[in-house]
Amino acid sequence: MPDESSRTDPVQPASVLPPEHSGEGIPEPSAYERTIGWLASLPWWAIILGVVAVAVLYSMLTSVAYQRVIRFLTDDPQSSTTDLFSVVQIVGEPQSIIGRYVGETEDSVQTVIYNLLDDVIDHHLVTQTGFIESESPAAITVRTLDNQLITIPKDRIETEERTEDRDGVRITLTYIDRVTVTGIMTDRDDDTMTIRTVNEETTTFSTDRILSRESTVIPCDRDANPGCEDREVVTIERQGEIITGTLNTLSQTNMSLALPGGDTREIRQSDVDYFHVPTLTIAINQDRADRSVAPGDEVRIAFVEGTDITAALEELNSLEDIPVPLQYADGEARAALVSYPDIDAALEATGTGEVSGLVYLASDEDRLAVAGWMDENPDSGVILPTPPRECQRGCEVTVKLVDETISGAVLEETDDEITVQTVAPEFVVLDRDSILENRRMEPGVCALNNLRGCNAGIFLTLRVTFIAYALALLIGLIIGLMRVQHNPFLYAFSTLYVEVIRGIPLLVILLYAGFVVSPWLRDNTPISLSDEWEAIIGLAFGYGAFIAEIFRAGIQSISRGQMEAARSLGMSYPQAMRYVILPQAVRVVLPPLGNDFIAMLKDSALISVLALPDLLQLGRLYVSRTFRAFEGYNTVAILYLLMTLFLSMLVRIIERRSRLPG
Amino acid sequence: MSQNSEPIIKIRNIHKRFHTLRGTVHALNNVTLDVMPGEVVVVVGPSGSGKSTMLRCINRLETIDGGSIVVDGIPLTGARNINKVRAEVGMVFQSFNLFPDRSALGNIMLAQRVVRKRRRAEAEAKAHDLLVKVGIPEKADAYPGQLSGGQQQRVAIARALAMDPKIMLFDEPTSALDPEMIKEVLDVMMALAKEGMTMIVVSHEMGFARAAADRAVFMDMGQIVEEDVPDVLFSNPSHERTKLFLSKIL
Repeated sequence: MPDESSRTDPVQPASVLPPEHSGEGIPEPSAYERTIGWLASLPWWAIILGVVAVAVLYSMLTSVAYQRVIRFLTDDPQSSTTDLFSVVQIVGEPQSIIGRYVGETEDSVQTVIYNLLDDVIDHHLVTQTGFIESESPAAITVRTLDNQLITIPKDRIETEERTEDRDGVRITLTYIDRVTVTGIMTDRDDDTMTIRTVNEETTTFSTDRILSRESTVIPCDRDANPGCEDREVVTIERQGEIITGTLNTLSQTNMSLALPGGDTREIRQSDVDYFHVPTLTIAINQDRADRSVAPGDEVRIAFVEGTDITAALEELNSLEDIPVPLQYADGEARAALVSYPDIDAALEATGTGEVSGLVYLASDEDRLAVAGWMDENPDSGVILPTPPRECQRGCEVTVKLVDETISGAVLEETDDEITVQTVAPEFVVLDRDSILENRRMEPGVCALNNLRGCNAGIFLTLRVTFIAYALALLIGLIIGLMRVQHNPFLYAFSTLYVEVIRGIPLLVILLYAGFVVSPWLRDNTPISLSDEWEAIIGLAFGYGAFIAEIFRAGIQSISRGQMEAARSLGMSYPQAMRYVILPQAVRVVLPPLGNDFIAMLKDSALISVLALPDLLQLGRLYVSRTFRAFEGYNTVAILYLLMTLFLSMLVRIIERRSRLPG
Repeated sequence: MSQNSEPIIKIRNIHKRFHTLRGTVHALNNVTLDVMPGEVVVVVGPSGSGKSTMLRCINRLETIDGGSIVVDGIPLTGARNINKVRAEVGMVFQSFNLFPDRSALGNIMLAQRVVRKRRRAEAEAKAHDLLVKVGIPEKADAYPGQLSGGQQQRVAIARALAMDPKIMLFDEPTSALDPEMIKEVLDVMMALAKEGMTMIVVSHEMGFARAAADRAVFMDMGQIVEEDVPDVLFSNPSHERTKLFLSKIL
C-alpha cells in the first residue's frame, strides 16, 4: 500500500520507535474514532431513529409549516370534544322530549318543546278521518274508517274538523305522528340522549369597534340557583373590520389578501364597505418623451418621500408599454432615484428636466392633486403618457368591511375585548325508549376522547392496515392449510387463488375491489361496501395470497416426524395441526409475517386510488393546496418511516420472545 | 400382563409397495407375524429389508396394499378406528420426534390432554411419575433442545407410555445415539419388558435382544426369513442370508 509508510503503526515494536516515543504503548483513540466506535456499537434502528429524530426536530423547530402539515395529516385531533356523534333520530312521542333551552328567555319547558317542534325539529304530519270513540281533556280516541282505534294526545293535534253524522261525530284530524331530531349528540347514558340541535355561535372583537350599544340585564333567579349571576343581553352596532394586506387576486365578486402573518383571507365584495387600491401614476418630461435611453445612461426618476417606490417600479416594469424615457431596464441604463418632499416639487422637477419622469403609486386624493397641478400649470412641460392603472396584484391595500348589528348575551368582557354569544346552543334530551328509529349516527369531531371520529390521515392508514392484515392472516391461514392437503379440490382451488392473486398488481386488485366487485355487490346483493371496506377487502385478498404461501412454507418446514409422532399418539389430523404443527410453524413464519405487515402498511398508500383520505392522499391534498411539496411529502415519508420503524422494533421483540430455549 | 392366549397383533400376508420415480419397490412381501400379549419381539435385518415399514404399518403410518392386520381385535382396514388403535399402540422413533416448543412435561402431557381428555393435574401427575420411571425427573421443565439424545429418547418413551398403550413399537430407538447414551435407553426398555409390556423392537442391540426378547425375527428383501429364540437365531442361524448378515454386524 502506497500510503502505509505515512501512517503510524500503533503496534510497532518499541525498539524501532524513535527514543522520545519508546515509552508509549498503543495511543489513545481520537475523539473521532471513539465516536465511530460508539456509533458502531448501537443497534441499527437506534442510528436511523437518531438521524430521523434530529431531522424532525430540526424541521419542527425551524418551520411552522411542518406543524401545519402534521396537524393536517393526523386529522387534527382535539384533546377532548363534546361532539361525539352527528345523529338523526326519529322519535314517536313528542312528550318524551325533555327540552332545555339555554338562552336569554325564560320560557317554560312546554313552550320550548313547542318551539323545537315548530322550528328546529322536522315533524311528520298525519291526517286521519274517523268517528270519535271517546274524548278526555288530554287525549282523543278515534275509530278510523278502516276500523282501528287510535288515541292521540291533544297537544299533538294541529288541525281538526268535526261534522255531525248520523253515525256519530265524524272528525278529520291532522296531528304530529313522529318527529325527526337532527344534531350533534353530546352526551348519553343508559336512559337518555342529549342532542345539540343548534350550535352556539360567538364572536369576539375589540371594544373600539362598538359604535352603539343597548343592553338589558336579565336578573337571575337567586331563589332557585343561589350562585348564579345576572345575564346581560346586548345589541351592538359594530364597525366593520379594517384589514390591511397584500393583494393576491381581485375580481368582481371576491378579493383575496395575503395577511402579514402568512395567512390568506378571502373577502366577498358584498361584505366590503370600501377599499383602497393604489393607482400607478406616471408623469414624464415632454422634451424627453421621444428620446430613447442609450446603454450607460442614467435615468433619473422622481419619487415622493414616504411612498412605496419599490412597488411603484415593479408596477412600472410590468406595464406593456413603458414610456420611452423610463425604459431603463431594457437598455442596461442605470436608474437613479431622486426623492422630493411633496408631489408639487416632484412635478416641477419633472417639468424642468431635472428628472426624466415621476412614478407614483397614488391614492385617489393624490391622483386628484396631480390632475389639479396639471390644470394649474398647463405649460409645465409635463405630460401624463398613460392612463392611470389600478394595481392588480402585489400592492398593499386596506379594506374596510361593512358595519353590522349583532345581538346576544355577553359571555365575557374586558377593557379591550368583548365576547358575545350571537346564537345560543339548544339541546334536546331524548328518552332513549322513545326513539323509533336511529336514522343516522355518524362519528363526530376527531378527538382523543372520540377516536372513532378520526377518519382521515394516519388514523385511516393505521385502521385500514390493521383490519386488512387481520383479515389477510385469516385468509392466508385457511388457504395455506388448503395448500398442504392431499384433497385435489382444496389444493387446486387454493393454488389457483395464490397464483392468480400473486400475478396481479395490488393496485389492480384494489381497483377491482372498488370499481368491479363493490358495484356488483351493491346491484345484486343487499351488501353495500363503504370505500374503507373496499380498500380493506382489496388489501386483505391481495396480501392473503402471500401470507398463504408463508404459512404453507412454514407448515412444510416442520419435519414429517412431528406429524407422525402426533398421529402415533392418537391425535386426529386437525388436532395434530392445531396442537403440534401450527404452533411450531407460527414461530417459523413470524419474521416473514412481520415483514409483510410492514409492507402492507406501506402498500396501504395505494388505497388513495379509491378516493380515501389516507396519509398519502392528505399529503397530496396539502401539497396541491399550498404548493409546499417539500414539507408535505417529507412529513408523509417521516410518518410512514416512524410507523414502520416502530413496527419492526415490535416484530423483533416478538421474535426474540418466541425463540425456543436450547 | 394379559392372560389372553390370542395374539394381540395378527399380521397376515401383508404387502406394501412404494412407487418411486425409478420404479416400484416391494417393501413388504407376504409378511405374516403373530405377537402374543406380553411378548417382546426383536426385529433385525439389513437396511431396506422392510423392518421399519412393517412397524409403521402396525399403527397405520403406512397403509398396506394387501393382507390384513388386526391389533387387539380391531382390524386396521377402515380409517374409522385408527386414532383409537394408535392410542393403544405407543411408538418410539429413531429421531425422537419430540415437540420442540414444549417442555419435557408438556410433551408428555399434550396427548393425554387432547386425546385422553385428562385433567391438567392428572396429566401432570402422570407425566411426573413417568419421568421418574425413565430416570430424569429433574428435567421436567427442560426443552428438547436442552436435553441430550438419550434423555430425549427417554422423554419420548415416557410420552408414548403416558397413553397407557398395550403395545410399544420401537423403531431403531438407539441408532441415533452416542454409545454411552445407548445404555440408559436400553435400561428403560429392559425395565419395560420385565413389566410385561408387549413390545416390537427394531434394533441391532444383540445384548438387549438376548436379555429381554422372547423371539427374534430376521427380515430381508421384505420377507421374514427366519424367526427363533434370540440365542438360537444369533448363535446358530439356519439360513445362509442370516448367517451372512450376522457375520457382518457381530
